Amino acid sequence: MDKKGSTAVQRSPRLSTDGQGFKRLVKAALAWLQRHQTAINVLNVYPVPDGDTGTNMVLTMQSAWAEIKDSPERNVGQVAHQMAHGALMGARGNSGVILSQVWRGFARSLDEKETYHAQDLAAACREATVTAYKGVVRPVEGTILTVARAVADAATRAAEETEDLVHVLEHMVFAAHEAVALTPSLLPVLKEAGVVDAGGQGLFVILEGMLRYMRGEPVAENVQLVEAVDLMSTGLEPGEVGYGYDVQFLIAGQELEMDTIRQRIMEMGECPLVVGDSTMVKVHVHVPDPGIPISYGASLGSLRDVVVEDMQAQYQDFIVERELPPSPSPQPSQEIGVVAVVLGDGLARVFKSLGVGAIVYGGQTMNPSTQDLLEAIENLPAERVILLPNNSNVIMAAEQARALSNKPVAVIPSLSTPQGIAALLAINYQADFEANVATMTSAMEEIETGEITTATRSAKINGMEIANGQIIGLHNGELKASGTTIEEVVQTLLEEMNSAQCEIITLYYGDPVSESDANALADLLQRNWPDQEIEVIAGGQPHYHYILSVE
Amino acid sequence: MSERQHSLGHIEVSPTAIASLANEAVLTCYGVVGTAAKDLATGIANVLSQDSKRGIEVHIEDGQITIDVYVIIEYGTRIAAVARSVMNVVKFSVERALGIPVAEVNVHVEGLRISDTD
Repeated sequence: MDKKGSTAVQRSPRLSTDGQGFKRLVKAALAWLQRHQTAINVLNVYPVPDGDTGTNMVLTMQSAWAEIKDSPERNVGQVAHQMAHGALMGARGNSGVILSQVWRGFARSLDEKETYHAQDLAAACREATVTAYKGVVRPVEGTILTVARAVADAATRAAEETEDLVHVLEHMVFAAHEAVALTPSLLPVLKEAGVVDAGGQGLFVILEGMLRYMRGEPVAENVQLVEAVDLMSTGLEPGEVGYGYDVQFLIAGQELEMDTIRQRIMEMGECPLVVGDSTMVKVHVHVPDPGIPISYGASLGSLRDVVVEDMQAQYQDFIVERELPPSPSPQPSQEIGVVAVVLGDGLARVFKSLGVGAIVYGGQTMNPSTQDLLEAIENLPAERVILLPNNSNVIMAAEQARALSNKPVAVIPSLSTPQGIAALLAINYQADFEANVATMTSAMEEIETGEITTATRSAKINGMEIANGQIIGLHNGELKASGTTIEEVVQTLLEEMNSAQCEIITLYYGDPVSESDANALADLLQRNWPDQEIEVIAGGQPHYHYILSVE
Repeated sequence: MSERQHSLGHIEVSPTAIASLANEAVLTCYGVVGTAAKDLATGIANVLSQDSKRGIEVHIEDGQITIDVYVIIEYGTRIAAVARSVMNVVKFSVERALGIPVAEVNVHVEGLRISDTD
């Protein structure tokens, strides 16, 4: 905390922290939290999956920091009170309110203390937890509250053994990490989504930022490092094995040998980057199988900040952003217009060729807002509008858009792309609106939908063990098949869908698949389903290798 | 198709059932320490009462669901943020359970509980 900190190699124990020292800890926590803001947003599924936990926590901490940043106060109790006040005034969202209560309890415990020592810190953490738990009738475990309690317990135990604040904080950070990892076992909604609690993760990041500062490690974005990584991950060029995965993680350990690690990582894939020191190493590499570098890293020490990104999907998003089709030319005003929500560019073309007036992009992970849908409805030069949500997650927004629109709107509750297409094929622009809605809805209901994609994390669903990277098949949205090859999964899924009883099997092949692969698969299927007609259509959808429709 | 509506009949959900859903959601909502009867003349706010639905009113008109929630909030929290989070949580939980949109959630802060003074 003092001026010689940056060059000190042998650290002397830190026994107390004053107001100015605490201020620097808050600043470090904020910087580290900002750096992880997006990652925390992504985890947000509870209580409402609106993806804003990271942002709310950052805004709350910014308000806390703004309150103390110009303060010359040396009394740590005073600074903590000011900071808690700032957090309270700027509390945003559920997680922000809880965080403000944590700081409120923390400040109350320190009260008028000039400095805090290990025992004071532990007592403040306990008070923070008690205060946080008081704010709700039924505390929900598996949230930031659980993590706060684990941190307080760890601080209490550590303060019994050491007076060094760095050691106490290390124990707190470790306990926070463990508690966050356990949140899915306490809160089923997290387990279902395969994530840890976002607010709990936020609290862990705040404490980790403080610890990094005390250890003299960087917290603000290391510009050089980040730039190097960005350049490599956006300069996407297809390799022999497609784009593969962008893998990043930190290894924390003892006596890590940088040169050996660098050598091994370089052998594994492209764009390797290995930086750090003997206790903390940052690894970045592009590989076809993300499991290999991660397992290697885990054999050396404990892993932190593991990020695995599907570069194929990134590339698709990149392309879609750059090459948006020209906005549809205004159509002559007509009786009935159709608005469809589609997954990606290729399917947009398919829907347009079937007469859809306006496309709203959206899908599995990016649901369009009610506003997006409403604008599309209002801008369409048609008197009455039929809305095809094509995804169960979009139906509610579609219903809301229907209620808000000034035009008569009907929502056909299509749950998938094939259902949407089946409904569209049944439309008759000459018939009246109500008759069309009825025909389209019943046409849609005759379609069975299959989807083939890659599992993005390991999970156990419907009694099936799924490994990360495995090919999986969904029938009407439910996981029904898994395997290592696409061909195998498609066939299992078609059997599951009872295709032998149907007439037409349609394959919409996505961006991960080439046209020749799709045709080869169709030939294979034709041999095994000789009585069915098999159609192949370029869907160009991201993430899904194939979308199947059986009718 | 499991969640498809078939023309077998219709499903009706009573306001009381919706109130139960809303009540469960409210009580797990951070910052809320109790619900309160709308009419304070009927008695003391039933702080800490966990199963009463007296603090929830549900109106259904023309198929539009409006939920009024009467709550006691912990003193020292940012009331605007807590109230907003009550709106979001109630709307989300009820919509998730019923699959139909909730038009409005109105939060009435009936009181504050002062458990600590700073």
